[in-house]
Amino acid sequence: MTPQEILAKADEARGNAEGIEWEIGIDSVEGGKEQHRTIRVSARSFNSLAEFLAPANVKGQKLLMLDRNMWFAKPGLSKAVPISPRQKLVGGAANGDIASTNYAGDYKVVQASEETVGGEKCHLFDLTAVDKRATYDRIKYWISKERLVGVKAEFYTVSGKMFKTATFEYKQSITIDDQPRPFISKMVITSAVLKEDITTMVYRKAVLKKIPDATFNLNLLTR
Amino acid sequence: MKPYHYRNSLLSTLVILYAIFLILLPFASAETEKESAPDGFQKFLSETFSWDLRILPYAVIQEPAHSTQNPGNNFLRLPRYSTNLELRPDLRFKTDVLEMLAKPRLKLGIDFWQEGIRRGEKQESDDAYLNEWLARWKARDNLFLSYGRENLQWGPSYLFSPSNPFLLDNGRRNPYLEVPGTDFARLVWLPTGSWTLSLIANTEEGRNKQPGPDPFEKIYALKIDYSGRENYGSFVLSQSEYGRSSLGFFGGWTVSDAVLVYGEGVLANRSKALYIRKDGTPLGATFQKLRQDDPALAPTILFGGSYTFESKGTLTLEYAHYGPGLNNDEADLYYGLRRRAADAFSAGGGLSGLGKLTLGQAANTGLRFLRKNYALFQYTQQNIYNRLDLTLRWTQNLDDASCQFTSLVTYSLGNHWELFSVGTMNGGSKDSEFGSLLDYQWMVGVQYTF
Repeated sequence: MTPQEILAKADEARGNAEGIEWEIGIDSVEGGKEQHRTIRVSARSFNSLAEFLAPANVKGQKLLMLDRNMWFAKPGLSKAVPISPRQKLVGGAANGDIASTNYAGDYKVVQASEETVGGEKCHLFDLTAVDKRATYDRIKYWISKERLVGVKAEFYTVSGKMFKTATFEYKQSITIDDQPRPFISKMVITSAVLKEDITTMVYRKAVLKKIPDATFNLNLLTR
Repeated sequence: MKPYHYRNSLLSTLVILYAIFLILLPFASAETEKESAPDGFQKFLSETFSWDLRILPYAVIQEPAHSTQNPGNNFLRLPRYSTNLELRPDLRFKTDVLEMLAKPRLKLGIDFWQEGIRRGEKQESDDAYLNEWLARWKARDNLFLSYGRENLQWGPSYLFSPSNPFLLDNGRRNPYLEVPGTDFARLVWLPTGSWTLSLIANTEEGRNKQPGPDPFEKIYALKIDYSGRENYGSFVLSQSEYGRSSLGFFGGWTVSDAVLVYGEGVLANRSKALYIRKDGTPLGATFQKLRQDDPALAPTILFGGSYTFESKGTLTLEYAHYGPGLNNDEADLYYGLRRRAADAFSAGGGLSGLGKLTLGQAANTGLRFLRKNYALFQYTQQNIYNRLDLTLRWTQNLDDASCQFTSLVTYSLGNHWELFSVGTMNGGSKDSEFGSLLDYQWMVGVQYTF
């Protein structure tokens, strides 16, 4: 397989371009303060809708991402407000982290090598964004040679400075083309600047399904 | 004050809604708390019905400005203090083809007066109402029909939303005060993922009662929305039943991860707003609808942009030119007439009634802003130490130099409780826009979300 085909296989374990619906539990520790969020995400290609389910004081908040146009709505707020991609969802989780992953489409492999992570032989790909729609400018991505899933990533700014790292677990399974495939169950993000700032995202109830355009339409978004 | 039987009927309606809500509550709770799947009707309810409830006890402290708009606080009779309790349940029902929403509200309050003719008085109030409701039917995957009472807002701007012909208030000054809903019929068609066409009509004024003697006016609008990769744009063509037409528009561009720029505006004619005409009446001038037959288009345009810092904070700047607003000469006439009306009102006697009528017109001219040029500066930072949300907003009237400073602060006290504070300070002379009504207002309270 070519590096791009390996990337595409790894993407299958982190979402689907046709559409996915899942629930994510986010635990964030930032500056010593803990925060928990549960969100339900409907995502397709570059669009996603995140609905906050818990805790009670954020229930009903919605984050709509239409490609790079992003809108935030909440029950008390009269109308949705436009926000920039830089605005964070919770803790160290970027808004792009909650949607399905399309690294094969968003990034190109500029360098490939091999390394071992936790005793597991991995491809190590140096990825750069194809265009500015991608969440990150540059990623170092370790993909298990045996399981064909991403196990570790480092995220870099345009200036080449690493700003966060992530590890991935795959304890769920979904069926693709009648074949069971491991599916992402956990992503742990650690700040490269403040190591004690950690965001844990637990993915559950993943369902691959076609998400209609209406889900991502601002005119139909109820508060 | 509402007639007793009307209030009684509203309270009865609310009691019935709360009863339904309490009956459905255990089923809805099962959606999030129980993993074991219930059967039959219970399962159907748990999958389709959801709700949340916000309880807001809060107090408002404000100081009426000593201005010619409200001489001695005898005209507007603004209370100095008020304490309130609001219950705001939101009930939702959603199946694949039908979506329903209801937002019944109960508000209890006590107002206290310290200035003016009502000095030393207090008044209790209670109000039960349905602020918003909606029934939406999915005729096809890309075609939706809805009817209901909505707070229908759009556009990216903070200062105001000129492209919206239906609602003057975009609700952003104080997010803890709800904008009253208006009754709308809507048809929304999505020919592609990028384009949306909406036909919108306001069928009744609902709870959004407009001040002044004018009757409710139906407006019909065609809204066309486009959403691209990193930009969006909309046109809103509207026509009122009395012949006023307007072309609203807004658009935005995500320039980079951190930078957004946007614009919003409207071209409108035949304004119903009141302007001043000098004449031989006892006050020397009167408010009249001088432009209601004027076919010329008055432009209103707003430009804005925001920058999000690496440290999470977002700075927003907006400039607005409000075409229908008063120029310097018109403003001089306005304040001159208002001063004479205030003197007549305060003096009593034969001209007092005319003074009162004129002050009422001065307070509700039908203009969204009094003057033409405005700027907004805003700094927002969310989730400071995972607890604190902060918004600081400065609004500047560039024509009369008056200003308004607003601070919005919320502090999370766990998963259900939140402290909030909305403070507003107005600066400017007593014959200026922001200096006319209140010197300051501070709303402080807690919100419990169930």
